Amino acid sequence: MRPNSHRGTIFLEEGEILQRTAYEGEQYLLRLRAPACAKAARPGQFIHLRCQEALPLRRPLSILRAQADWIELLFRAVGRGTRALARQPVGARLSLLGPIGQPFQLPSSEKPVLLIGGGIGIPPLVFAAQILHRRNHGRVFAAFGSEIPFPFAPKPAEFLVSGLPPDVIAAMPLLEDWGIPNRLASQQGYPGCFSGYVTDLARRWLQSLEPTAAAQTEILACGPQPMLAAAADLARAFGCACQVSLEAFMACGVGGCAGCAVDVHTAQGLARKRVCVDGPVFDAHQIF
Amino acid sequence: MQTASAPQLGLDFCGLSFATPLVLLSGCVGFGEEYTRVQGFSHREVGAVCLKGTTLAPRLGNAPHRLCETPGGLLNAIGLQNPGVDAVIRDILPRLDFSETRFIANVSGSTVEEYAEVTRRFDDSPVDAIEINISCPNVKAGGVAFGNDVRMSAQVVAACRRATKKPLITKLSPNQTDIAANARACLEAGSDAFSVINTLMGMAIDIERRVPVLGNNQGGLSGPAIKPIALLKVHQVYQVCKAHGVPIIGQGGITSSEDALEFLIAGASALGIGTALFYDPLICGKINRGIADYLRRHGLDRIDPLIGSLRLHGEFTGDSCDQ
Repeated sequence: MRPNSHRGTIFLEEGEILQRTAYEGEQYLLRLRAPACAKAARPGQFIHLRCQEALPLRRPLSILRAQADWIELLFRAVGRGTRALARQPVGARLSLLGPIGQPFQLPSSEKPVLLIGGGIGIPPLVFAAQILHRRNHGRVFAAFGSEIPFPFAPKPAEFLVSGLPPDVIAAMPLLEDWGIPNRLASQQGYPGCFSGYVTDLARRWLQSLEPTAAAQTEILACGPQPMLAAAADLARAFGCACQVSLEAFMACGVGGCAGCAVDVHTAQGLARKRVCVDGPVFDAHQIF
Repeated sequence: MQTASAPQLGLDFCGLSFATPLVLLSGCVGFGEEYTRVQGFSHREVGAVCLKGTTLAPRLGNAPHRLCETPGGLLNAIGLQNPGVDAVIRDILPRLDFSETRFIANVSGSTVEEYAEVTRRFDDSPVDAIEINISCPNVKAGGVAFGNDVRMSAQVVAACRRATKKPLITKLSPNQTDIAANARACLEAGSDAFSVINTLMGMAIDIERRVPVLGNNQGGLSGPAIKPIALLKVHQVYQVCKAHGVPIIGQGGITSSEDALEFLIAGASALGIGTALFYDPLICGKINRGIADYLRRHGLDRIDPLIGSLRLHGEFTGDSCDQ
């Protein structure tokens, strides 16, 4: 390894809030001007954002989309940092570091890709879907789950997906626009949604594939810990690869403090790796 | 405009040439290369970088959570996660660019012998100096258990002294009654310099679950919240050190050039930057510029005349808490 190969890969920018949209359930979409970060960002990476001056420690937030000179974040106000961020108006400038971390490894077009996103874990998978769309990857299915109203207006799916109950028709418009078949899951009885866990929706799709195709599938998942564990089990059951994006409390966000370490099972035994720069994307089979 | 009278920020620290008085603190910057990920960050802006605490055998560190933000501060309990001294010397030191700054090893152990052995191995390595961490609050054996006990502190320092000719810096704990007495003992045992202070022990509680937030139950508090304590401790240790010309790396909550100047005036020769890096990874350049501006404004061409220049109101009462 060259000594300094990672040097200068993370940018410090003053991100101006260009757009702010509030959704039900304390969910917010922010568009921030951050040209250097936007240019370098890849799906699965995150930014480390100062939510307000009075909270000087930054908060890690995954990137929903990156385009031209802006990035978008979709988050839920759950703690002090994200609640403060939710109050920031359009025009506010926030110090951000990014893009950070190991991105999802997007498979070649021969392999089917299954995107599984739960709640606030949905954003990096939307970013992955966008890049797969740009690469004309024709074998992608996305399953998104939420127990609070989705931060977009679901629409009836245009793309037929086999193996699903006929009334499961709710889809994310953005992915539909990109030509990516997708369905939504919830236990809240939202219209058109698969009633159950998002991983059960994903299982139905895998079951509809030829066993060889299922085994070639690459699962990319982000969401709550139990959902990620279920995604890993699913991958094990079908013999497919699975990448999970993890979340952790972070201080530095650049690999300096080791505050975000997570247990990783390697061939050499248990290791503790940093979610910020060794992750946030890990091989699911090394985590669960 | 650059003039002939531009202030010099460089200094001699235990015979080492520091480009500026700033020192990146152990545990905040991994094994030296991590912050170089940030565009614009340069090791040339600091006099030295203290590498992560290193033990004889690899350590996994503590279970998560390891961090909690508190008002004006940060609680951490990392637990000295490191790959062991041999891996550090074999795999990590060769990747460091010693032309950019000085690199200081940070040594920890559970026994006096372990401290000495790790020091001995670093003695035969390119590191510029060795910092003895007798003040880590986050490990069960060693660490602050040594640092709280004057006799044990001196024993650790003496053992490390026998193991190296490199400059030896002892990192003192604020979690003790009389830091000055400890400094005196360590100085007599052969310490060439001091780092003052390590973190203060603290706790945060999740009231819904009624459990400590940190996996280790307790942690070390850093950040602006501890700055007044750190300043006093630096000044107390300075009273011991000044007659011997033993320098201090003052540290604890420095986030601005004003903070840095306070520490210089209190008696520090160099200034540790830790938590502030998490706030602003490019803070060092700003602090350097602020110090240079101050020197210019006060007609000084270097920092030496500032060090310990504090003019007390009457006599310093030392370490008494009652005054």
